[in-house]
Amino acid sequence: MNTFRLQIVTPDGLVFDEQAQRVVVRSMTGDMAILAGHCNYCTGLGMGEARVTSAGGEVRRAACIGGMLTVVEGDCRIVATTWEWQEQIDRDRAELAKKRAEEKLAQKNLSDKEQKIAEAKLRRALVRIGVKQ
Amino acid sequence: MAANRKAVKLRIKSIQSTMQITKAMELVAASKLRHAKERAEKSKPYFDILQTALEQIAAGNTEFSSPYAKKAASEVWCYVVIAGDRGFAGGYNNNLFKCLEQEVQGKEYMVLPIGKKAVEYYKRREVPILTEAFSEAGDISVADCFEMARMLCSEFRKGTIGYISLCYTEFVSMMTQTPKTDPMLPLTELVANAEKKDRYGQILYEPDSSQVFDVIVPEYLAGMIYGAMSESVASELAARRMVMDAATKNAGEMIETLNLYYNRVRQAGITQEITEIVAGAEGNS
Repeated sequence: MNTFRLQIVTPDGLVFDEQAQRVVVRSMTGDMAILAGHCNYCTGLGMGEARVTSAGGEVRRAACIGGMLTVVEGDCRIVATTWEWQEQIDRDRAELAKKRAEEKLAQKNLSDKEQKIAEAKLRRALVRIGVKQ
Repeated sequence: MAANRKAVKLRIKSIQSTMQITKAMELVAASKLRHAKERAEKSKPYFDILQTALEQIAAGNTEFSSPYAKKAASEVWCYVVIAGDRGFAGGYNNNLFKCLEQEVQGKEYMVLPIGKKAVEYYKRREVPILTEAFSEAGDISVADCFEMARMLCSEFRKGTIGYISLCYTEFVSMMTQTPKTDPMLPLTELVANAEKKDRYGQILYEPDSSQVFDVIVPEYLAGMIYGAMSESVASELAARRMVMDAATKNAGEMIETLNLYYNRVRQAGITQEITEIVAGAEGNS
């Protein structure tokens, strides 16, 4: 299969910079896949599972949260806020975060901001748990 | 003569204690620098790739429906100025302010200062300040950067500011740090930086350009500020380490000269005493 150059970066460093066959991410509007030879493209990323198929055909799963994806002249760049490979995710921590966020959301008197933060935390925890399973 | 000797001794002591302080400050800066340098190196690829990606988008963009991609709505510039919290770092803070001073000539501008020194400087000059909430450059986290980005975006969308630029110190090496300003918004400002040689084809935005920009621009600003933050902190510590190293060396030299002088005076005193005794003995015989 044809491959393309895929770069994934987060503020914590360069996560991936190799040839890849395919990458699947959750964009603003839903899951999408990029293959070699894609046209110039730009979209924002949502929160969800990502799958990278390396040049050798091996599939790696990761939790990808926020950021953007661009394809320019055949090179794909994913600039993510956080990107955690499946093996890096701490299951217990995610479960704990989920529990805490749920408890927070169960309270009635939350301000708009608190509500949003708790919801975002819950969604992030759910994505992590989903990828780990 | 005796009084002079005492004064020299005191001076040597005082220089010695100053030297101890500068030495300690150098060591502290050096150990913090290791950590800061690691952080700057880690975030460097993110910073670079983010910038290239946005430059390419700006160069290939033919859709101007998003407020971020349009021509500036206002002539007011907003500079995000990242300086240090403390002095004793040689020209680190001043060079940055000077660099910005040149940049703003003839423009109407306001600032978002980060770091105590920046806040103090612009308050004294009575330059309009967007917010003073981020006066501690040392404890800025990624979340704070997002907070700033949101604030800048909302001001930008309201039209109170038309241009946003970033003013920070680039960490070139342990020995060199250069202050610079980078344009961030509107995206048309980035075109000048993009490689001119290849024209990028049209870019497909999904679902559409203004929605995509609404999502990625705050991310982009936050990422840029975070990257510049990491670089600036490393630059500040490197500058401080260098200056303190020079101060320690200077103090060492001063002590050496003073010691030499002190010993000479002491020697002269002894010689004189001997001469007096010998003269006295000769007179007796």
